[in-house]
Amino acid sequence: MLRKKEKQKFQPAMTFRKCIHKYGAYYLMLIPLLACLIIFCYFPMVGISYAFTDYSPFHKELNFIGLENFQKLFASDGFWQAFKNTLEISTIRLLLVTFGSIGLALLLDEIGCMWFRKLTQTMVYIPHFMSWVVVASIFTIILSPQKGMVNSVIKALGGKPIYFLANRDWWRPWLYIISVWKEMGWGAIIYVSALAGVDMEQHEAATVDGANRIQRVIHVTLPAISGTIMVVFILNLAKILNLFDPVWVLQNSMVIKVSDVIETYVYRMGISSSQYGISTAAGLFKSVVSVIFVIAGNKISQKITGEGVI
Amino acid sequence: MMADKFSFKKGHRARAGFLIVTYVFLTLLIITMIIPMWKLFVDSVDSTSTGMQLWPKTFSLAAYQVILNNSSMYRPFLVSILTTVGGTVIGLIIITLGAYALMQKEMPGHRIFTRIVLITMMFNGGMIATYLTYKNLGLMNNLMAVILPVCVTAYNTILMRSFFESLPPALFDAASIDGCSPFGTFFRIALPLSKPALASVGLFIAVAMWNDYMHFILYITDPQWQNFQVKIRAMILEETLAVVSSDMNLGTDMLKSATIILVIVPFMFVYPFLQKYFTKGITLGAVKG
Repeated sequence: MLRKKEKQKFQPAMTFRKCIHKYGAYYLMLIPLLACLIIFCYFPMVGISYAFTDYSPFHKELNFIGLENFQKLFASDGFWQAFKNTLEISTIRLLLVTFGSIGLALLLDEIGCMWFRKLTQTMVYIPHFMSWVVVASIFTIILSPQKGMVNSVIKALGGKPIYFLANRDWWRPWLYIISVWKEMGWGAIIYVSALAGVDMEQHEAATVDGANRIQRVIHVTLPAISGTIMVVFILNLAKILNLFDPVWVLQNSMVIKVSDVIETYVYRMGISSSQYGISTAAGLFKSVVSVIFVIAGNKISQKITGEGVI
Repeated sequence: MMADKFSFKKGHRARAGFLIVTYVFLTLLIITMIIPMWKLFVDSVDSTSTGMQLWPKTFSLAAYQVILNNSSMYRPFLVSILTTVGGTVIGLIIITLGAYALMQKEMPGHRIFTRIVLITMMFNGGMIATYLTYKNLGLMNNLMAVILPVCVTAYNTILMRSFFESLPPALFDAASIDGCSPFGTFFRIALPLSKPALASVGLFIAVAMWNDYMHFILYITDPQWQNFQVKIRAMILEETLAVVSSDMNLGTDMLKSATIILVIVPFMFVYPFLQKYFTKGITLGAVKG
């Protein structure tokens, strides 16, 4: 640390020429990356300005109309319904997947038998690699009311078949189940490796002090991996509102009320009905909420663990 | 981890009971993971299969034959292969070069460039603003519009940078003292040492690209360039299979199941070889960005 400081102190201010001579190659290396990000990420951010215009494919001139799009948006029921659904679905999904992953990692940590542990890990990671399209197709067949496996069991037990994915009461629970099924194993990977780093001496000390298994998990294991949990949680917060794929592929017109989230709403408004102004406004609103989530998450992390993630 | 001896002796009983419950629970979990896919396999080979049947009574590969003879699947499949392989290569080149440059802490502008990369992790224009921008840039129906946003991501760049930073810095210093140019150091020292990281990041890119659905339905309107995911979705949704199946006397369910199995199976063959790489990659990701 000290040496670095000294070095900086005695370094003469670099001229532009010298800087290019020394670092020119690195700037060259950066160009493709920055070009990509600027074209594909930053240009669209400028595109947010469409939210304040009456841009439409039908007439060519572009007028600035201020917040009119937002007024229209906030006045529509569909949007608020989608907003509410987004918050509920994404929060519950995030919590279930996080708890599922941590729980699974803790259980895996108890398994001494290596081959069984490996087998479990191998199996639970598989669904992550399937696209939502494939997963939705699998579950559409498994949950089908006529020949689906779940409904066959229900029928065999004397119940009535339920068309789960077109039923307002059942759609969300199944979205959660499918999400946990798909992502729990993948989420657990990081906790498994964090658990491998937990100091065994602390466990031994706790055992000597008479702590039982549950107490050890609460007082030794969980604090040891809390940093990892926080980092993962906040990284996930940034993307929990991105619900397009899972919802879009499982959604149908019967359950639109309980299943519509901002992204699917935006897609229908923007791409299907070409209402560009309003849908861009909705997207902007979503981005703002998601940024608030991340900042809030970071603040909470600072409170709990004493340091922020970002 | 806590590999206490398994025994039913007094004092170990609670521990043994707990372990049994854990094993049973995890076994059930494995079954839950596998059963949906297994069930589809059974359905795909047995035309008489009923809802609760978990073993094929009759066995026929007719459904697979029908699908493999259906030439409308080939082109989307090739598009998927092309975008996945191309995207992984392009993505890795751009990401490793950028990550290596970002590692140079003393480079003027280092902080600004890192910020530029990190900001894209948190902010984006949203679906429609992005769509309109790409449209106005003339990127519609251009494969670059689906490849680059999926493959070149801030997350992967940071992952790669964390890996480069974990290599001993003395190596790079030694190379540059010996007169190796930055590009020389990159190609001769950094890349050969990063094979595991290249494999992990490459795997993440390939999986994201292979599974991508949203970018294709947004930016590719030409059916010629739709990928496999879009095709499968269309097949499952619309009853395009019904026409084929009526000729062949096969149920649509059987054909659908066979289609899905055909999508999953190639992955299952490569999966065991990839496992160690993604575990490594995801662990690397926990390093602070």
